[in-house]
Amino acid sequence: MKNRLRSFNGLTVVKILIYAFFGIFLLLPLVSVFLVSFTSQPINLLGSITDPGILSSTIEKFKAISLANYEKIFTNKTYFSAVTNSLQLAVLVALIVIVMCIPIAYGIARTTMPFKKTIAALCTIPLIVPTFISAYAIIIMFGRSGWVTYIYNALGGEGMLLDPYSMAGIILVQVFFFFPYALWPMVAAFKVSDISLEEASLNLGARNWFTFIFVTFPLAIPGVISSALLIFTVSFSDFGTPIILAPKDLNLLVVEAYREIAGFFNWGGAAILTVIMVLVAAFFFWLQHLFTKGKNYGSVSGKPKQQKLNDAKGLTRTLSVYSLVIVIVPLLAMLSILLQSLATTWGKNPLPNGYTMKHYQTIFTSSIGNIQNSIVLALGALILSVIIATFVSYFVVRQNSSKLDFMTSVPLVVPGIAFGIALIQTFNTAPLHLTGTALLLILAYTIRRLPYMVRSTMGTMRSIKQDIEEAAVNLGATPLTAAITIIGPLMLPGIAAGSILVFITVIKETSISILLAPAEWAPMSLAIFQNILRGEYYTAAAMSVVLVVIVLILQAIANRISKNQL
Amino acid sequence: MGSVKISQLTKEFSGVQALNNVNLDIQEGEFFALLGPSGCGKTTTMRCIAGFEQPTSGTIHIGETKVNHIPPNRRNCGMVFQSYALFPHMNVFENVAYSLNIKQLNAGNLATKLPIYLRLLNRKLGKYPKAIEQKVMEILEYVELDKHATRLTSELSGGQQQRVALARALVMEPAVLLMDEPLSNLDQKLRHSMRNTIRRIQQDLGITTIFVTHDQEEAMSMADRVAVMDQGEVKQIGTPIELYSRPSTPFIANFVGTSNVLKGEVVGQENGHSIVKGHGFLLKSMNHVEKNDVNVIIRPENIKAFKPGTISEDQLTNIIEGKVLVSTYLGSIVRYDIQVEEYQLVVDTTFVPGEAILTEGEKVQLTIDPERVLLI
Repeated sequence: MKNRLRSFNGLTVVKILIYAFFGIFLLLPLVSVFLVSFTSQPINLLGSITDPGILSSTIEKFKAISLANYEKIFTNKTYFSAVTNSLQLAVLVALIVIVMCIPIAYGIARTTMPFKKTIAALCTIPLIVPTFISAYAIIIMFGRSGWVTYIYNALGGEGMLLDPYSMAGIILVQVFFFFPYALWPMVAAFKVSDISLEEASLNLGARNWFTFIFVTFPLAIPGVISSALLIFTVSFSDFGTPIILAPKDLNLLVVEAYREIAGFFNWGGAAILTVIMVLVAAFFFWLQHLFTKGKNYGSVSGKPKQQKLNDAKGLTRTLSVYSLVIVIVPLLAMLSILLQSLATTWGKNPLPNGYTMKHYQTIFTSSIGNIQNSIVLALGALILSVIIATFVSYFVVRQNSSKLDFMTSVPLVVPGIAFGIALIQTFNTAPLHLTGTALLLILAYTIRRLPYMVRSTMGTMRSIKQDIEEAAVNLGATPLTAAITIIGPLMLPGIAAGSILVFITVIKETSISILLAPAEWAPMSLAIFQNILRGEYYTAAAMSVVLVVIVLILQAIANRISKNQL
Repeated sequence: MGSVKISQLTKEFSGVQALNNVNLDIQEGEFFALLGPSGCGKTTTMRCIAGFEQPTSGTIHIGETKVNHIPPNRRNCGMVFQSYALFPHMNVFENVAYSLNIKQLNAGNLATKLPIYLRLLNRKLGKYPKAIEQKVMEILEYVELDKHATRLTSELSGGQQQRVALARALVMEPAVLLMDEPLSNLDQKLRHSMRNTIRRIQQDLGITTIFVTHDQEEAMSMADRVAVMDQGEVKQIGTPIELYSRPSTPFIANFVGTSNVLKGEVVGQENGHSIVKGHGFLLKSMNHVEKNDVNVIIRPENIKAFKPGTISEDQLTNIIEGKVLVSTYLGSIVRYDIQVEEYQLVVDTTFVPGEAILTEGEKVQLTIDPERVLLI
């Protein structure tokens, strides 16, 4: 707006294209699925524009509009229990994670706890592993023939310590694999208050525990609440764990929505569940946003405060042992997968009966296609998101395009399974018949992971001063040439870091893959999922190990890049 | 090369008047300074000339051409940015060669464009043509940076970066050279030598140059003419000497050098002098003005201070009584703050070794040559 002269040029065309992209592949599906929740029949909005025949049938469908689906939430027992169970699960996970993390966060932030670095390093494991693999690992450990069960029985226990195929099992997985999302914000929250406040409290005669409860903790409360809301949203949107572990009699929104669409092609049912998912996730996302607004705890601000750390030996040792016990669980889970992948057979014993590389041979001969698919799809999504994210951050940072900024954060709110359903519904027929193609899969991955990419590129974009670009224009370059020759090269580090992140998350992606991937384009995550369903546990384990190794390597590269940037 | 003519330029930023009826007529080959405090509109004026801001109304001519609707990349105004805005991923040579590359890029077709893009993206991907190489090295030699051609700009000192920015702007042979606070990022000593360098280059090339500064010393020492701006308006245009000796408003009197500004009233005429009266003073001035209520402007160095009773006969006009509040020894001069009724006058006297400095609280008599009493 600043300059009417520049209002029409190459960049404007790019901007229009990006708006069209978001309009067609993000907003249109969400709007469509919302409409379907009223009509109970697929709505073809694109077709209605191009084809009068479709238009008239769409109008017919709108005439049959009803709130029947919305009534069903309360009348249909399955739906109602799905909603309450999902909410219950998310609340429980959030509460347990918070309570579990308080001592660890305090230990890291405010004490000289031993093994702090080891603990912090182990905390990254859960973030690398896709949840359905973690869920599967819990089966290996806690299942009927799991080694935990073996030890439990050897110690005199009856049956299983904990049935993985239950609400408790799902909670277990989500708690131990989502807690790092809450831990670091909480560490930041505990760093806010100054040790001098605690010393003041002690000086005024309060005891240690009294000081913690009435001084230290209250100051950290906003950060803690925000973490809890974050965990709630993550747990609520998680598809990988419930799809593996939820027993038949336990309805959860994500699973129910998946069944409605994949099993019964019940458009209305899937739509209403999708709408509920998006609304709940969006609401909690907004709540969390509200809490963190203006309270940027972990952020860099001025000089670092000198903090004195608590070094009482008894306390730090206890905290250290406790933290290690917690963070070791995900590690054990991954080791279990590794052992399973190398086992000839593994019955109800602490260790496998024998070791073999056979399963790896199997996947590298028969399933190499899945690995290739994953890489090709991830590369596709990566290229698309690099291009879009680069331009989006340009428009947001340089032209204050808050609409685009908002648009790129919408995917954060939409649970994967919900987005998948919306896409299937929208692109099921002409004129854009994309369901069942690799293209739709790539588009879905791209949109879902774009927020990460945009965050990364936007950061670098902000660090490039406006006058550098103006200098290029002043020297004769058109805005587009300036973008290509000056801004592009300067953004490379941000783009590199962001694209590795996109690549990793796409390889890990579960819900979209399971819902949208056609057989000939099945990525690793889908192959593992199907293997688990078919009971081919050993190959599933081997494939999981390959997947985690790929992610680990990429993560290491990404860390290096971002370190070099600093 | 070209003149720059700005007529009735107005710029509004979402309702805020940044520029109000700015008129400038800058001659070909002139070194012209826009001087004013921050927020006065000087940078906005320059950005309007460069094309980064679009005027709300008014016209800008470069040479004979009206440029209002020419986009910034085709205005051919070389600009030296305050932060220099050097491309950090390019070395000195590539920075300077950028505009030449772009020129080639715009002239060529698709086949010739690709190699240019490639060498713009990475120096290893393409060789520069002889003509460009020669031209760049020539200008680098001119600013004494030819030995640093392959350095990254971040490896250079502030003064060297400044010269790269200058070379980069000059190599495109701009019609006008624009400089935004060119010296503000340099330390005191470098600033002085850079002032001379810029002035020398400008004189050498005879290029029309407009530079923006808030530092009056910079403007006065470098420019042929200076426009003093305040609150989006041009307050006065003139040579440095004109601005200093005949400021048109109290604001300029204070902004260009230091001034004592007193409120007075013209009470009569006598022997070709105006008699002006105010609180604590009755002064003669060689100045004649139409109005009665006037601002009396007196430069600190034009006031002489004496201990009471020591004034020589021939200086017995325009005497003001006061009291020394503070005396500050500044090396070659001594600066006094002197209380005269409600005014605090600043008085600079040459320090003569061996002569006593007036002490605080001491009574003092001041005299001013009627020729140095300016009424506005």
